[in-house]
Amino acid sequence: METLYIGGGTPTFLNAADWESLIEILENGLSFSKGMEVSVEANPDSLNEDHLRLWKTWRVNRVSLGIQSFSPGILRWLGRLHDEKQAIEALERCAECGFASSGDLIFGIPGQNLRLWHSDLRTLCGSVNHLSIYQLTAEPGTPLAGKRVASQSEAYPLYRFAQWYLNRRGFLQYEVASFARNESWCRHNLSYWKQTNVLGLGPSAWGYLDGLRYRNAAPLMRYLRQEGLRWEWTESLLQEDRAREAAILALRTRWGIRWKTFRRRFGGEISRKLGEALSELSPDLFVKRNGRISLSDKGFRLGNSIWERLV
Amino acid sequence: MKRDRIRNFCIIAHVDHGKSTLADRLLEFTETVDPRTMRAQYLDTLELERERGITIKSVPVRMNYRAADGTEYILNLIDTPGHVDFSYEVSRSLAACEGALLVVDAAQGVEAQTVANAYMAAEQGLELIPVVNKIDLPSAQPEEAKRELEEIIGVDAHNAILASAKEGKGIDEILERIVHDIPVPQGDPEAPLQALIFDSVYDNYRGVICYIRIVNGRLKAGQSIRFMATGRECQAEEIGVFRPGMTPVNELEAGEVGYLAASIKTIHEAQVGDTITEVARPAREALPGYKKMKPVVFCGFYPVVNEDYPQLRDALEKLQLNDSAIQFEPETSSALGFGFRCGFLGLLHMDIARERLIREFDVELVATAPNVVYQIVKTDGEILEANRPSDFPDAGQIEEIREPYIRLTVFVPSEFVGKVMQLCQDKRGIFHSMDYITPERLRLSYILPLAEFIVDFHDKLKSTTRGYASLDYEHVGFRASELVKVDVLVNQEPVDAFSFICHKDAAYHMGQSVVRKLKELIPRQLFEVPIQAAIGKKVIVRQNVKPLRKDVLAKCYGGDITRKRKLLEKQKEGKKKMKQIGRVSIPQEAFLAFLNIGKEEED
Ligand SMILES: Nc1nc2c(ncn2[C@@H]2O[C@H](COP(=O)(O)OP(=O)(O)OP(=O)(O)O)[C@@H](O)[C@H]2O)c(=O)[nH]1
Ligand SMILES: [Mg+2]
Repeated sequence: METLYIGGGTPTFLNAADWESLIEILENGLSFSKGMEVSVEANPDSLNEDHLRLWKTWRVNRVSLGIQSFSPGILRWLGRLHDEKQAIEALERCAECGFASSGDLIFGIPGQNLRLWHSDLRTLCGSVNHLSIYQLTAEPGTPLAGKRVASQSEAYPLYRFAQWYLNRRGFLQYEVASFARNESWCRHNLSYWKQTNVLGLGPSAWGYLDGLRYRNAAPLMRYLRQEGLRWEWTESLLQEDRAREAAILALRTRWGIRWKTFRRRFGGEISRKLGEALSELSPDLFVKRNGRISLSDKGFRLGNSIWERLV
Repeated sequence: MKRDRIRNFCIIAHVDHGKSTLADRLLEFTETVDPRTMRAQYLDTLELERERGITIKSVPVRMNYRAADGTEYILNLIDTPGHVDFSYEVSRSLAACEGALLVVDAAQGVEAQTVANAYMAAEQGLELIPVVNKIDLPSAQPEEAKRELEEIIGVDAHNAILASAKEGKGIDEILERIVHDIPVPQGDPEAPLQALIFDSVYDNYRGVICYIRIVNGRLKAGQSIRFMATGRECQAEEIGVFRPGMTPVNELEAGEVGYLAASIKTIHEAQVGDTITEVARPAREALPGYKKMKPVVFCGFYPVVNEDYPQLRDALEKLQLNDSAIQFEPETSSALGFGFRCGFLGLLHMDIARERLIREFDVELVATAPNVVYQIVKTDGEILEANRPSDFPDAGQIEEIREPYIRLTVFVPSEFVGKVMQLCQDKRGIFHSMDYITPERLRLSYILPLAEFIVDFHDKLKSTTRGYASLDYEHVGFRASELVKVDVLVNQEPVDAFSFICHKDAAYHMGQSVVRKLKELIPRQLFEVPIQAAIGKKVIVRQNVKPLRKDVLAKCYGGDITRKRKLLEKQKEGKKKMKQIGRVSIPQEAFLAFLNIGKEEED
């Protein structure tokens, strides 16, 4: 086992006692190894000293904070429960505890101008070596459904600015939405993009096992009632689809596709097909080096349209 | 019944002057229709006719009439349409009659179609009985209407019947005049059979039903008959008369009007205008028949769903049986797939055909913008007919382009004359003549390109004259024009579906609007896409669709991966529905919107 990620939802929702039993379960059930990446997700409003103490004394070495923004107006618009002060405090405490911390920022909120965006990026940059940015979408079925969000052309400058600014602050964009300083990539996330096996535990968790992707039953009660494998949904990809998905996921990262490895995994024919599909696109969307193809900064911005050619 | 007790007549007039309402009164007076089933414009049975309040198809009816002197007569009436696009219907009906009621609205006076239809009837040798209708209207000026009948048309109107179809006034007089003034049908019942097919309809059970006028001889049920144009022979399964419903009889005789059913399945077997004769004793020659009408307005009909193509063809074939003036042939369009290029006698004709296909034959279709047929003289002297831009040869091979012209006659109150002249000029019209009919009303005549006329002339005329003008036109053949074919290029590739023909002075303006519209409708691609309008090699308008700069980029972990893949697949599906022109994906809407561009642009 290389990574453990406790998240999806709000683990800081659990109190100290809950955490102690969770730790006990994990310690009994999993075999940990040295140098493993153990991450937890935390929300600035519910993170407390108990959590930090427990995590520090256990194996946690990485905390991912759902910051979203430091701007009061934006936090209010998003309906977040924390404020700027709590966010900064949470970051400081994590750093003091020696965790490698990461923060999420959101862009594409109406009224979010370059000045506000810059200030969010600057604040977060100061206290983390890893951050993710993502564009707000008003998905149906979420509280934001139906709200007006920024259009692509409004959001474009913000994304572009982040690419430029974070680079100047020593961050490398290693994935469409992820930036890291000093090679502090999130190894757990990388495993998704590399299609490595992931064991999903708990309700609604996702997992992947040699081409089979599954999701556990979502409602807690149903999850608890189920015997054995608690899968509620699975999909198993055919070789060709798996190859296509692998290519798309690989192209999310700065390492892109290494043709030699790709061919060995999936065969020459599909590799050639995908290569051809990519070669029809304009060369400035890609960086080609040492038998690899990956997206350029511009390519990252147009990811969807590029990947679309590969499905 | 003896031939001298038969009278065949039709009712002709300008649109809305009250033909169908007059027919109602005649049906009532002669007790042809049960009063309980009577309704206004009884003979307008098509759904569209009732909805729009106009007659589209000529309808024959047989009435029994006991004259004032006690003599029994058979009267065959044909109610005809008044709209200019349907004058072919009128002309066919005329051939089955010896006389016509020429109806004129007492308040409106003689209008364009009054003249056109009266002339046609006179040319066929019909006796005209002028009827001034709607005398009940407060604005009625019957004396004025009579004067116009005499001065404009040249009929003797001193004994014109003053009538009100609405109130039933003058109906008895009309019937008496019909039996006295309209000639007895000529023809020899003992001669070999000659029956003229003056119309046909399609019936799902009985196949094609021919409307016939027996000119010579007699036709019996069960008799072996021959269609002279095709030589096809068959049995007369059922013959009958219109009362007004089809009512079988045993025999039809010279002078009579009726119908024939003989299990005929296609229009080619029983063409309108053909002569039916008997197999045992065939007539030596066929009757003159009709001049085939040349369609003047064309458009494409395409099924909404590709699989419905055979259904559409079927429907067109059947509609053609009801309306022999419609022509069609298969064509393909890069945007719309397989469909038909159809020809019509006018815009209303086209519109009605489209509606009938949808309603009566239950097909869903898309109609392309109408256009006219062009004549192209090539540099090597060859003359081509082109009814769409893609038929045009290379600009270098074109010596001259000719387009159809019409002579337009507009009847208009003098206060609007300036506006109407302006409209005609805007439509590239050439002034021909102007004369006063009365001090308040003028007849204005222009030579005008048909292409300009079909766009929206009628609507414009109506709105500029608040409905007080009426028009008629006749074709005056092809004339050379300064026309150009404007190609539209998307990313340097010419797209057939977007090219158009227009006058050279309008090319820039129209090119602009087409390019602007396409720019809106073509989604951003991964690269910049130039859209150009060009005449030959010369680009006259250019705009660029800016390249895509950013997609929505979401995070993607664990389960997001499946969601993401589905999204990409959906995105790709969406693109598949688009038409690929070179490297550019163009959505269907762009093609559809383009079909209306001429219209919208005028708004
Ligand atoms: N006041 C008045 N109205 C009439 C008279 N005759 C007909 N109308 C009205 O005029 C309108 C047109 O009548 P139609 O009988 O449909 O006219 P038409 O000549 O058959 O029209 P098309 O077949 O479309 O050419 C209707 O609204 C009738 O009610 C009349 O004698 N007096
Ligand atoms: Mg009518």
